[in-house]
Amino acid sequence: MRKLIAIWAGKLLTVVGKLVGKKSSASPGAFALKICPALVSDINKIVTKKVIVTCGTNGKTTTNNLMCTALEAKGYKVLCNRLGANMLSGIATTYIQSADIFGRVKADYACLEIDEAYTPIVFRQIKPDIMVITNLFRDQLDRYGEIDITVNIIKRAIAEAGKVKMVLNADDPLCVQFGREANAEAVYYGISEKVLPQVDDTKEGRFCPICGAELDFEFYHYSQLGIYSCPGCGYKRPEPDYNITDISLKAPIRFKINGKAMEVNYKGFYNIYNLAAVYAALDVAGERTDDFNKLLEGYKPQIGRMQEFMFNKPVILSLSKNPAGFNQAIATVNSDDRKKDVIIAINDLANDGRDVSWLWDVDFHKIKDDNLNMLATTGIRVYDISLRFKYAGINVDLMTDSMKKAVLAALDTDSEVVYVLVNYTALYPAEAVLNELKGGKGSGR
Amino acid sequence: MHLYPDLLNLYGDRGNIECLKRRLQWRGIDAETVAYTCDDTGFELSDVDILFLGGGSDREQKIVCSRLLEHKEMIKDYAENGGTIIAVCGGYQLLGKYYKLEDETIEGLDVLDIYTEQGSKRLISNIILESDLIKAKIVGFENHGGRTFIGSHKPLGRVVYGHGNDESSRAEGVVYKNVVATYLHGPLLPKNPQLCDYILTNALRHKYADFDGLEPLDDSLENMANEYIVNRFVK
Repeated sequence: MRKLIAIWAGKLLTVVGKLVGKKSSASPGAFALKICPALVSDINKIVTKKVIVTCGTNGKTTTNNLMCTALEAKGYKVLCNRLGANMLSGIATTYIQSADIFGRVKADYACLEIDEAYTPIVFRQIKPDIMVITNLFRDQLDRYGEIDITVNIIKRAIAEAGKVKMVLNADDPLCVQFGREANAEAVYYGISEKVLPQVDDTKEGRFCPICGAELDFEFYHYSQLGIYSCPGCGYKRPEPDYNITDISLKAPIRFKINGKAMEVNYKGFYNIYNLAAVYAALDVAGERTDDFNKLLEGYKPQIGRMQEFMFNKPVILSLSKNPAGFNQAIATVNSDDRKKDVIIAINDLANDGRDVSWLWDVDFHKIKDDNLNMLATTGIRVYDISLRFKYAGINVDLMTDSMKKAVLAALDTDSEVVYVLVNYTALYPAEAVLNELKGGKGSGR
Repeated sequence: MHLYPDLLNLYGDRGNIECLKRRLQWRGIDAETVAYTCDDTGFELSDVDILFLGGGSDREQKIVCSRLLEHKEMIKDYAENGGTIIAVCGGYQLLGKYYKLEDETIEGLDVLDIYTEQGSKRLISNIILESDLIKAKIVGFENHGGRTFIGSHKPLGRVVYGHGNDESSRAEGVVYKNVVATYLHGPLLPKNPQLCDYILTNALRHKYADFDGLEPLDDSLENMANEYIVNRFVK
């Protein structure tokens, strides 16, 4: 009964939330959990097939949603926290929304993305059958602390999970260590050929997580992802069970997984990892993968994942939350050889991380290439990002407190494309401005 | 010389190096950064004018510490003879006698008569100081578990907003001869151009007896970034 009240209360809050136009997808769940703390603990019983969870610093939402799309295309009913509310409260909201009026939830699969820091708490109630870990990068230090802390949290979570099949990124030395946990049974996906230019960015996991010696790298993909081995203890990149080769980054992206050709219309090298993780997880779940290309036709990226808005020229909105994400976004901008304007918006609210020193760990200076036309900065920390450019010797053409002004200025230049790179809380306002200027839906501030 | 940038690189420290270098170059003064990394041997300070020591994770800091202890005397002499050192966060803690953690004590370089003990919770905040060294307020971000006790040493500044060396003293950082050590990152120098120039002036005076001061630069952007933080948190 308690549970039913919690679900009703949550449903009511969701309706009220919609009426007042709130975007938060965590609060109905948070409220319902207060009434019934064990609300989601029967997910394992409800789900007829598997519970698949996705963690990792970058690519969680995309990987999880791709997974859900693929399973739905196969005709399954999937419980999925699609909007990326990834703490227990977000999962509770998802649960409430899929419950019927009698509080019953039906699902074949659960696809849940989970914030690394919350995995031990979530796994106390929900035992994953399959756990995907995409990568580990330095993230908002004021919230998560050092990366070693995150590693320990995930290890605790795995111990809590019971017997679990792990799908891990072979190219990330920080990720691979989880495959050694006692109750884990791991498969690995990885990219085996050199694709990107070798750059000297800030690399976190260059040291062996087992013995601490500096790892030898044959080459890097980006950050600490690459082909590595430890001269000290022999820890090394495992041979991928899902081996990616023959990559072409020109749109549409083409590559092969275990020799099977894939073609997808996404931007960004990192999306190959996201797709490979989904492919591997489906296979581990016992699903067929020979129709993989077709399964993903219905996939709609969440907002801000290289999302294109068409004006007199395309405006592409890209969300990044940490140095590794921004470096990848910048590499994607660099790979576009049209004449371009770039707008960068940096906020420092709680969800962004209040500490903006990470701006200096991003290779922002690389944004300046032969095709850069106008560079504009905005956001709450507009001065910080502008200073970052000043000390890199790069001229900022427009510094403004208004995203709208920045976009209007860019639409007015003779560039062929505009990129808008934002961090978390700058995303929704940027999207609202772009929709407003298009005269479309969702206008507002 | 940037000490162990491969290990101590947690909070955008390369911004401090860029800032020191650019502000010299913009004035027509040659500047070169030498990185001393894990792979290097033959540690030598005789040609070094500014030594920078940043912050790292606990694990990386321990590695650095064990390596630097071999050069303890050299670093100590360098500081005593007026060499310039900038130490941030973990680097600040390393300059003291020790850093006492829950289950172990890490021996420091003993350059300064200060020590650090692990506190119960991390002190994480934007932070603003008033300092006798410069007119403008010093702004930055702090994120540290250690509480540093500087004894009779002079602090870098008095805390106007944020925590500082510990919860109660309202003091932040330490200044000794030409050593400036602090918990402030952000990074420290780009938003505090006056502090950067203060440090550069000391280093240049130490190097050239006839040095007659730095030319002013256009710091309007730096000052806006600095004042934005001050106005947001103090007024």
